[in-house]
Amino acid sequence: MSARRVLAVDDELQILRALRLILRGEGYEVLTAAGVQDALDRTALTPVDAAIVDLLLPDGDGVQLCRRLREWSTMPIIVLSAVGEEEQKVRALRAGADDYITKPFGPGELVARLEAVLRRVVTEPEPASFSAAGLEVDLVAHVVRRDGQAIHLTPTEFSLLRALVVNRGRLMTHRALLTDIWGPEYADDVTVLRGQIANLRRKLEPTSGPRRHYVRTEPGIGYRFDPR
Amino acid sequence: MAVLLAACTALVYPLERVTSVTALGVVYLLGVVIIATFWGVWLGIAMAVLSGAAYNFFHLPPVGQFTIADSGNWVALVTFLAVAAVMSSISELARARAREAERRRAEADLTAEMAQLLLARMGMQETLGLIGQRLAQVFELQSATIVLREAAGDARRQAIALGVGTGRLGTLLVPAGLPTATEHRLRRGAVPALTAVLRAALERERLVAEAVQTEGLRRSEAVKTAVLRAVSHDLRSPLTAMIAAGAAVRGDGVTAEERDELGGLVEHEGTRLSRLIDDLLDLSRLEADAAAPRFAECSIEEVIDAALAVQPAGARFDLAVETDLPAVTADFVQLERALANLLENATRFSTPAPVVLRARAHGDRVSVRVADRGPGIAAADQERIFEPFYRAAGQPNDEHAGSGLGLAIARGFVETNGGRIWVESNPGQGSVFVIDLPAAQVRAPAAG
Repeated sequence: MSARRVLAVDDELQILRALRLILRGEGYEVLTAAGVQDALDRTALTPVDAAIVDLLLPDGDGVQLCRRLREWSTMPIIVLSAVGEEEQKVRALRAGADDYITKPFGPGELVARLEAVLRRVVTEPEPASFSAAGLEVDLVAHVVRRDGQAIHLTPTEFSLLRALVVNRGRLMTHRALLTDIWGPEYADDVTVLRGQIANLRRKLEPTSGPRRHYVRTEPGIGYRFDPR
Repeated sequence: MAVLLAACTALVYPLERVTSVTALGVVYLLGVVIIATFWGVWLGIAMAVLSGAAYNFFHLPPVGQFTIADSGNWVALVTFLAVAAVMSSISELARARAREAERRRAEADLTAEMAQLLLARMGMQETLGLIGQRLAQVFELQSATIVLREAAGDARRQAIALGVGTGRLGTLLVPAGLPTATEHRLRRGAVPALTAVLRAALERERLVAEAVQTEGLRRSEAVKTAVLRAVSHDLRSPLTAMIAAGAAVRGDGVTAEERDELGGLVEHEGTRLSRLIDDLLDLSRLEADAAAPRFAECSIEEVIDAALAVQPAGARFDLAVETDLPAVTADFVQLERALANLLENATRFSTPAPVVLRARAHGDRVSVRVADRGPGIAAADQERIFEPFYRAAGQPNDEHAGSGLGLAIARGFVETNGGRIWVESNPGQGSVFVIDLPAAQVRAPAAG
């Protein structure tokens, strides 16, 4: 399989250099662009498999670029945001970005998120089971165990866990989860989702002994399955 | 009146021996003057007429009858009546003058009272209300209202301007159709006095506000100096380490192990630096009142979960979170930061005992309590620990030390989201930090 190509868009040379170093180290081919127009020109010439876009660009902003890219492509897009750019981050996600990462980022996290969003694209058979950080989930037999002990989940709770596990590492918006599990009429019923997530957490995450986390809250946006 | 009449009549008898009866009409004048002074001119004149009749009946011959024999006595009687009437009028005039003087004194007192009220430390609206009442009392008006703006009169009330042109301070509203004399006295006396005192009071308010602002600026200057000093030191430490490690890693003969160690150091110090910068940004935004929360409905359980997720690995927590806690309206990220700071502090002091975290609802509030088994905090320090850069005595200033900003930021974020934060502690018995937030207003349930 040929190396996957990623477009990195940022006007800061150091960031581009860092991204190139990190991604090349993981076997990706990296194209760089320093602004909105530059990015659009590059993608017109060479198809890419994913894009990492900084929110602050000299000739526009990352949100605009997301919108433009989404006009003709379904490529996964990750935006780079800084602390304090909450508004823009949310707008970018609404404009079509798949995930975000906050600067300064550790390379490990960037690579993990990139792989998570790319996994969606590659048609790979759904895994029958998943295990990490003491949690074992058998998606076929509908069995969940933590540290060997069986945990009983209601059907809704299991659907929710399944949706998160299959998309592990990826940001799942409220909307996406609600539509997937309850249906499009419930796409705005965040309170219901929050309640079910709370139930799920209560059952999965131990309340004594070493703290374990499986579901991470992305405030105002959604949830991410991130076992540690 | 009858008593006086009888008294005067009786008084004449002994005096008859001294002088002619015709000259003794003046005795009755005493009675007339007394009546006129206290009861007015008309009663005075009535008293004069009755006195004349008594004089005639009891003293002028023929005694016992209302006729007068001697013509000279007619003159005496008529003179007496004329003098009595004049005396009544004079008494009346004196009375009127006294009343006028009394009124003037009341108005002068009012001015002094207005000055006192306006310059006292009461709210402006309260004061204006009181002045209006006193004004109405002194001038015998039905009502008097003072407003600090231009107002027009209407059918029921007339508007009197306080101050002119650009110096216009407000308007005095009094009932329409006042007697001219009252209105005249108002406009000439009370209104200028009121305007002058009002001007002084408004100027004073302005100066006080300025003084408060200046004090605020002075204090923020002091904070800025402290911040700059602390920043300079705290930022330089990780930078020094990073630059040294960066240079060292390029040296000759660096083993792979050493490279790994130096690289790890750069990453670690860089992260520490990044967190410090975030803290400083948060603090400066809080100080400048620019940390506007993005309010949304938040679940306390999720805030707790998020705050726990960023704690160092190996930290142990004992949780007691009530089920079905009400949501709060707040900025999730800010609440999470505040709680995470509390938890981080607690873990630093509490080892090896686990940090206890309790969340419960009570009434229309939600409280989260973080308890540690540390050394405790003396009562004198319990407010000071929330100050920026305050570091507890004896805390090591090494890589594990905090920036000294955690609690200041926690308090800033909690308060800006409508909550309260405080510590309950006794030396030797550990500390409990409490975050108390109002529950979100229950809205009408969504359909479906």
